[in-house]
Amino acid sequence: MNILTVRDLSAGYGATDVLHKVNFTVEQGTIVALLGANGAGKTTILRALSGLLPSRGVVEFGGTDLRQCSPARRVELGLAHIPQGRGTFGDFSVEENLAAGAFTIRDKKQIAEDMERWYSVFPRLAERRRQQAGSLSGGEQQMLALARALMSRPKLLMCDEPSLGLAPAITEQIFEIFKSLNDEHGMTLLIVEQNADLTLQFAHTAYVMEAGDITVSGLASELLSNEAVQQSYLGV
Amino acid sequence: MNGTRMFQSAPAVLVASVALCLPVLAPDFMLFEFSIAVSYGIAILGLNLLLGFSGQICLAQGALFGIGAYTTAIFNVNFGMDPIVTLPFAAIVTSLIGVLIGLPALRLQGLQLAIVTFGVASAFPQLLLKMDSITGGVTGLAIDQPMAPRWFPGSQELWLYGLSLICAAASVFMLSRLLRGDTGRLLRALRDNPLVAESLGVNLTKGRLAAFAASSALAGLGGGLFCILNGFISPQSFLPMKSIDILIGGIVGGITSMAGAFIGAVFIVFVPGWTTAINPALGGLIYGLCLIAMMMVARQGIAGLPIGRGLQALKHLFNKKGLSRVSGAVPGQLGGE
Repeated sequence: MNILTVRDLSAGYGATDVLHKVNFTVEQGTIVALLGANGAGKTTILRALSGLLPSRGVVEFGGTDLRQCSPARRVELGLAHIPQGRGTFGDFSVEENLAAGAFTIRDKKQIAEDMERWYSVFPRLAERRRQQAGSLSGGEQQMLALARALMSRPKLLMCDEPSLGLAPAITEQIFEIFKSLNDEHGMTLLIVEQNADLTLQFAHTAYVMEAGDITVSGLASELLSNEAVQQSYLGV
Repeated sequence: MNGTRMFQSAPAVLVASVALCLPVLAPDFMLFEFSIAVSYGIAILGLNLLLGFSGQICLAQGALFGIGAYTTAIFNVNFGMDPIVTLPFAAIVTSLIGVLIGLPALRLQGLQLAIVTFGVASAFPQLLLKMDSITGGVTGLAIDQPMAPRWFPGSQELWLYGLSLICAAASVFMLSRLLRGDTGRLLRALRDNPLVAESLGVNLTKGRLAAFAASSALAGLGGGLFCILNGFISPQSFLPMKSIDILIGGIVGGITSMAGAFIGAVFIVFVPGWTTAINPALGGLIYGLCLIAMMMVARQGIAGLPIGRGLQALKHLFNKKGLSRVSGAVPGQLGGE
């Protein structure tokens, strides 16, 4: 079953369109990779999906047409977006950042429970809960951004370039966390990345973007072994 | 700069104690000036919330202050309402008008918003003149000042000063409640990164307008109080420069500090007079140099000066938690937090 269906999605900044009628789907319970070079339109897709950018076309999420929904409503419906560069609030403590992830949740008990739950998954955040987020390392901030997004109890987690500015070993750790979220919690993930090789090892299916359109799609394992794809699209 | 605890900090304790000791220390005419400073301080509190916590600038705070003052005056002159009873109305009316001024803020930010709001401040005195049937035009409005009751042992000035302190305490109480917890966090998230805040489910429109509404309500309350203290208002009291003065007070005091709001208010009320007293011909020059110097030595405002940190260390010495920590600590570490 598809949790997300995107048909003829166009969006852009000002008068120019960056996306040209993009079509794709995300199946429930899978990890989907969205690959492509700089400027292909990957970030624009995520922004259009979370409502930060006006768009045209059809976006169906869990059976709901998102076109009329505000960004806040989309979060309530279960769509979470970890922005590029993580977007943690540097002046906030770790704990306040987590609380900021639960703006849409009214139930205080649930917020407290979830916080403890993610602290146990990310013990390093638990150790630093009173520290300012700005003082954390890049990897810790990415974990914080991830935990913060999980506070809204999403059904689909969208992550924009988690590897940006992180050491390869740390990036791999982050992907291991994605995998365990998927395995243990059945979380659906949509991951935008430039690091195709690594992402394809963790993803189930993948789409490759080029100049505002999806040009290749398929099982991650196939794309990984397809030399033509590797050479022409992924620059490996 | 953790906003949620800001009023429990050392500058707050200092400001509150000075405020309570003033009736003993200061002569009556100075009490009057301090009362005026308190009324500005309440308006600056509003600007703290708006600029310091939600990151939106408003250069119409002086005009909103004026709207509060005129609301009190008009309700008293036209409907014979007790001036003190008009204060909540001054806050509500100003808050509604503040939301109207805040509407452009949904599309404009930063410098553009500064110009739009300053446009309101510039138009305000002329508007008052044009609407002379209710505002009294150039002659202004005189209200029935609330007199000290017979049982009150002190002077009329002391009575009004007490009223000012009660208004200030109520404002600080409400604002600190508002800033503590979710609302404060939401506003700071909007200030630090609106795009991320939105992606986390914050409603930008509601958040920004709510900040304008609350900030304007405080400006209105301060203005109403100003009207009561002065007993008379005219457009002359609400020239565009008043909005700049309030901004200066906010920044010089410390834009995210409630104690700083009142320190800044005292600054804008007294310092121009002092610099003129030094040299009548060069008062403006000295005041200007003062402002420049302030920003060189106290970028976070007076409330953020090291003296505040020193006091914080003292406070640690006196509370229990601090004591246990101090016993094994090197004295130099006290102020380190």
